[in-house]
Amino acid sequence: MDNEYIIGSDVKLKDVLREADAMQLLQNAAKAGASYGAVEDAEGEILCHFGPSPDGHVFNIKKPFYLEGEIAGYVVIKGDGANGPVLKAVGEAAYDALNIVLKSNHRSLLATETHRTVINRSYEELLQTCNMLKESEIKYRDLAENLERQVSRRNEELKQAHAKLLHQEKIVSIGQLAAGIAHEINNPLGYILSNINTLKQYSAKMKEMLAFFRDTLSKTEVSDADREAANRKWLQYKLDHVLSDVDDLIRESIGGAERVKKIVSDLRGFSHIDETHKADADINAEIDRTLSVLAHEIPGDAGVVRDYRPLPPFTCDPAGICQAFFNIILNSLQTGKEGLKLVIETRCVDDHIIILFSDNGPGIPEKIINRIFDPFFTTKEVGKGTGMGLNVTHEIVTSYGGTVNVESRAGEGATFIITLPVNTKQKPQIKKEE
Amino acid sequence: MIEYDELENKMVLKLVYYGPALSGKTTNLLRLYDLLDSEGKGDLTVLDTKDDRTIFFDLLPFFLVAPSGLKIKLKVFTVPGQVKHDATRKAVLQRADGVVFIADSQLSEETNNFESFRNLEENLRFVGLDIEKVPLVVQFNKRDLNNIVAEADIKKTWGPTGVPVFMASAVEGGGIVETFEKLAGLTYSSIDKRYHLSEKHGLDENTFVRTLTGRTRLHGQ
Ligand SMILES: Nc1ncnc2c1ncn2[C@@H]1O[C@H](COP(=O)(O)OP(=O)(O)O)[C@@H](O)[C@H]1O
Ligand SMILES: [Mg+2]
Repeated sequence: MDNEYIIGSDVKLKDVLREADAMQLLQNAAKAGASYGAVEDAEGEILCHFGPSPDGHVFNIKKPFYLEGEIAGYVVIKGDGANGPVLKAVGEAAYDALNIVLKSNHRSLLATETHRTVINRSYEELLQTCNMLKESEIKYRDLAENLERQVSRRNEELKQAHAKLLHQEKIVSIGQLAAGIAHEINNPLGYILSNINTLKQYSAKMKEMLAFFRDTLSKTEVSDADREAANRKWLQYKLDHVLSDVDDLIRESIGGAERVKKIVSDLRGFSHIDETHKADADINAEIDRTLSVLAHEIPGDAGVVRDYRPLPPFTCDPAGICQAFFNIILNSLQTGKEGLKLVIETRCVDDHIIILFSDNGPGIPEKIINRIFDPFFTTKEVGKGTGMGLNVTHEIVTSYGGTVNVESRAGEGATFIITLPVNTKQKPQIKKEE
Repeated sequence: MIEYDELENKMVLKLVYYGPALSGKTTNLLRLYDLLDSEGKGDLTVLDTKDDRTIFFDLLPFFLVAPSGLKIKLKVFTVPGQVKHDATRKAVLQRADGVVFIADSQLSEETNNFESFRNLEENLRFVGLDIEKVPLVVQFNKRDLNNIVAEADIKKTWGPTGVPVFMASAVEGGGIVETFEKLAGLTYSSIDKRYHLSEKHGLDENTFVRTLTGRTRLHGQ
């Protein structure tokens, strides 16, 4: 209750009249010869007094004084009858003085209390506002932190999704590769197998023939009938044909096996299975590797022109850089253009390796050209394109501080331009699965 | 209600004269002080300290005793009208039992009236009083001046609200007592509802108002 002063709270006499002040007023009455003087409150309780208060005094005044319209107390003066008129005058004076003191004290009490209240209130309002601000700040901070957390979680999710997609893209390209390569490998394997089967039959005949010769030659004398039988056998086993065919079969098989060996080694080169770390790569050779694994995707009527210039070694993860080229070349091949022509040029200008892939395909319409490097952007039917190919290329190229751009107009083919800065050996490599 | 001391058998009530600066709140109180001649009328305290304007208000207290012995102190306050004294207004308004809004009739003051009334609504809410329930009387002061809002317009605006409106001229004294009487009457009713002044204390509305004003009511209830 103490600090909650309500303006208008009732004032007690003690609040506005100090005993010392009242005493001083009474003192005059004493000097004037009053034998008793007192200030009492409304209930008759004596606030201050002088002299004994015997009854039977001839002169006896008791005058009420008011505070806010209500009797607040009394001034009491007692004395001899002889001093009556003087005492009366002194009593009046004391009374008036008391009223003045009361009024001015009341005023200043009102003023100070109000002042305090207003100041306190303003202060409390300030505090309240401050607390409200604090609360909302906390709320906002929470919210912000939450947001941050949410954002970073979303980011994490996106990153994971992205990584997953990159992985998928890889799987897709591997899948695409696998299909072609399976065919490529199957073919030679098929005739190698059939050749070996034929060779097995041939070898059985030759074994019989040889066994016959050994038996016959082990006799002391070889008869004409023996010679006749040998001849018959030779013809029966078509050994002339067998002998002439064997060489072909073996040559063919070896050729097939060598093709398989080549394919496998191309694949190894492309995927750089053996080099997981950065190496000084020859970009021209890497493009060749990429083309060789895509060889089966290149239609018969298509032509690939390589216009290479010698390039300085480029420090990179060769598998990654091949992937970047692969995605661009594959897109050209996938345009399905009849008589596709793909020109691949490499140059070194100042400190930059520049690679251009130009095709005479359908080109890219202006309204989508800004989006083709975006993740998920594809114009291909569901299942055909992931929309991640060029995004992956972009990620890989920019991770080396390079750029990839496209120049194209609908109907006029497309040119993809990759630039790679040569002297950026220490550029951090990002985005590859660690 | 400022306080109700059952031990002392005393209640202290508060009425507040609210309104824009210079609309005539203090003049109302001065006039009341002059015009009323009741026993319980206390001294008028005008707190108008020059150097500290934040405590600028006036107080006119009344004191009466109900037949039951219940002491009733009624303190009539004015608030400083200036916008900057909002903290004082809030403090004065706290626990008010009734409010008079003194509007300035001059056409030029319409915006100030409006702003001040809005401020009253806001501050009532701030101190936890319901403007729908607080006894409220509106006084359009300065009817003696030129270029004032027409009474018909005032009636049209305020009629639908059900808030009693008085035309007054504080300088000449017209409408001052009527405004006070009306507010006193409304305040009595709202206090009576909660404290049963008439039932328990034998104090009816007319006696209450008449004791405050020292005269027979000019207007009936
Ligand atoms: N050489 C090109 N000629 C025409 N359009 C191309 C070529 N390369 C890319 N595009 C367009 O860019 C899109 C995005 O390519 P990419 O990121 O590899 O995703 P995807 O091949 O899965 O669609 C393709 O869907 C195609 O519309
Ligand atoms: Mg693609």
